[in-house]
Amino acid sequence: MSKSKMSKLNLGLAAIAVALTLSSNAFAFDTAADKEAPKVSGVGMKITDAAIKPWDISYFYDGTNLPDGKGTVSAGEKIYNKDCAMCHGDFGEGAHGYPKMVGDPVDQFEASAKAGVDAVGNRGINNTWGNAPTLMDEIHRHMPFYAPGTLTVDEAYSATCYVLNLANIVDENFVCDKESLPKIVMPGEKLYTTNLGSDTHNIRCMKDCYKGTPAVVQKAASIGDVSVGKVEKRDTH
Amino acid sequence: MSENMINPVPEGTNKAGVASSDRRKFLRKSVALAAGGAAIAATNAAQADDLKTWTTPLKNEPTRHMLGRGVVSVPYGLPSKYESGVVRRNVGWLTADTIASISFTPWQDLHGIITPNGLHFERYHAGAVDVDPSQHHLVIHGLVKQPMIFTVDDLKRLPSHTAIHFLECPANGAMEWRGVQMDSMQFTHGMMSCSEWTGVKLTTLMEMVGVDPKSTWFYGEGTDGSALQRSIPMEGAKDQHGKPIPAEYTSHYQDAMVCYAMNGEALRPENGYPIRLFVPGFEANVSTKYLRRIMFVDKPLVTYQETRHYIEVLPNGEIRQYNLVNEANSVINYPCPDYKLKGTGTYEIRGLAWSGYGKIKHVDVSIDGGKNWTAAKLVEPVLNKCLTKFTLPFEWNGDEHLIMSRATDETGFVQPTLKQLREVRGFNSIYHKNSIQVWKIEKTGEVKNVQIENV
Repeated sequence: MSKSKMSKLNLGLAAIAVALTLSSNAFAFDTAADKEAPKVSGVGMKITDAAIKPWDISYFYDGTNLPDGKGTVSAGEKIYNKDCAMCHGDFGEGAHGYPKMVGDPVDQFEASAKAGVDAVGNRGINNTWGNAPTLMDEIHRHMPFYAPGTLTVDEAYSATCYVLNLANIVDENFVCDKESLPKIVMPGEKLYTTNLGSDTHNIRCMKDCYKGTPAVVQKAASIGDVSVGKVEKRDTH
Repeated sequence: MSENMINPVPEGTNKAGVASSDRRKFLRKSVALAAGGAAIAATNAAQADDLKTWTTPLKNEPTRHMLGRGVVSVPYGLPSKYESGVVRRNVGWLTADTIASISFTPWQDLHGIITPNGLHFERYHAGAVDVDPSQHHLVIHGLVKQPMIFTVDDLKRLPSHTAIHFLECPANGAMEWRGVQMDSMQFTHGMMSCSEWTGVKLTTLMEMVGVDPKSTWFYGEGTDGSALQRSIPMEGAKDQHGKPIPAEYTSHYQDAMVCYAMNGEALRPENGYPIRLFVPGFEANVSTKYLRRIMFVDKPLVTYQETRHYIEVLPNGEIRQYNLVNEANSVINYPCPDYKLKGTGTYEIRGLAWSGYGKIKHVDVSIDGGKNWTAAKLVEPVLNKCLTKFTLPFEWNGDEHLIMSRATDETGFVQPTLKQLREVRGFNSIYHKNSIQVWKIEKTGEVKNVQIENV
């Protein structure tokens, strides 16, 4: 729909809303939202913060909204061995193709990146994880994998604490809670940036765009025939 | 299979006709005249005297003398049984299981820009779930004047918005960063779709709850096991270090919508039924499925998805976050490695181009490894943040060719070569691999996935 058509339609809807003079829960609002947004009324319900609370489970990188409660490394070890080790490995080394908890030390990880070495498989919370509170968030929200979101707050704090200890980020006496987690400096934190924007600069050349022969690389024999065996090759398109 | 029943062709005859050697010479000349550019089909290219002659008396097909199925014998229609190979596929070794995994759309078998709903790629973090719409709610809260809760029916009452957009996992092409790996277009480019989406514009809901001007980010959250959440920037957004997010990333949310329908019918469970967030142009991970909550905030969450998963480890050692836009990209889906060319003569190069920044402006095609390019025809409609089909006539004379397409979007951004992309992103990037895809047509007619390393 064109902009002009859209505004005509929206004007029509706004006129209807005014004519009906129903109690409106639309507020004056003219900053971030689309100024052409139609006025509506009588749809949806107001909700109290207390009613939202059970769903308000996002813990920010800086610890905002972390819940009351606490966990210990020793309590976390029992939870980890029962609910986590089968996928993440006894020592956080990963198992059966599931992610590692403990990867390369961050300096080694950074050096690998600079050297062009494949370190994708060596990611862990000791290199690619910026803030401890979001580890608590993920464990409480999404883990254990086979029964997501079933750990209590204290259990999730404990599992968080144990994983941080496995990765040598906290010692075995550390207590994890909403005060302590935001103070932890994660090893990889210093590496994170948002240097955004287009970083490739191709041009639309149409004729004689380069001299010489293209260096054509086909599939390396060592990679194996990973896809063809799975696709039923057909004769027709 | 049925090929001969549907369209009987005598053994040894090519349906498209077999070019005579004279014709081959003529075509070679015309390719040379085109200075190495894509050979445009000559007028009257399919000269009748080039073709073999059919002499066998035509026979009726078996369907000619039988009664077919009655109406509603298949209440929800399915493709022909002869199309049973056109399905989503996964790559077993890519993920540890199929619950936190991805499947691929068979674009090599599709002919338009719309992904049929049953072929839409799947991406789950805790599996697909069946959410009861009568029990489902969407809560919007945070920096708002009035937190609100909506039923699915409430959302359907509100002014609706319908638009056709692509949706692409930023890992599309990920397996090709370090080298050629997948000899199938389904697996090099199948983590994307294009659908007509219908729902409520986020801006409509923002007006209803009265979003505070201090709100610079929001996030959606799903009601599946992963309860996936992603931070999405708005005007004035700053990262967790206080650095402003560039303006080209802070207006995409204005096109965002809470969707309940795709291609005219309810969302499929695989795609977030009953409602999902959809932010056109951004990597698909931000478009939370099974949406239950939207919170407006003044900082990013920096979730697991944002700190561990959808990041780019760059060759200077930095870990880049929030590179959300899928920049201009394109691929030829005919010919492609999934099918062999059958004989010389007329073909049409066809492909798809898209950009997370807007409309596609040009698609150029090269058949000589990128030395010379010809502008392809863009097939209407050409829409904002939407797959655009392109075509270019192609006469194949039996020679080897390196065929490739290059998209330019309306911002002037030109799709990079793989070399250019690796120079800035290295080999460990996984995401946003939008480089020019090269297919090699062999003399046998086989089509191979290849990479050009030096250009």
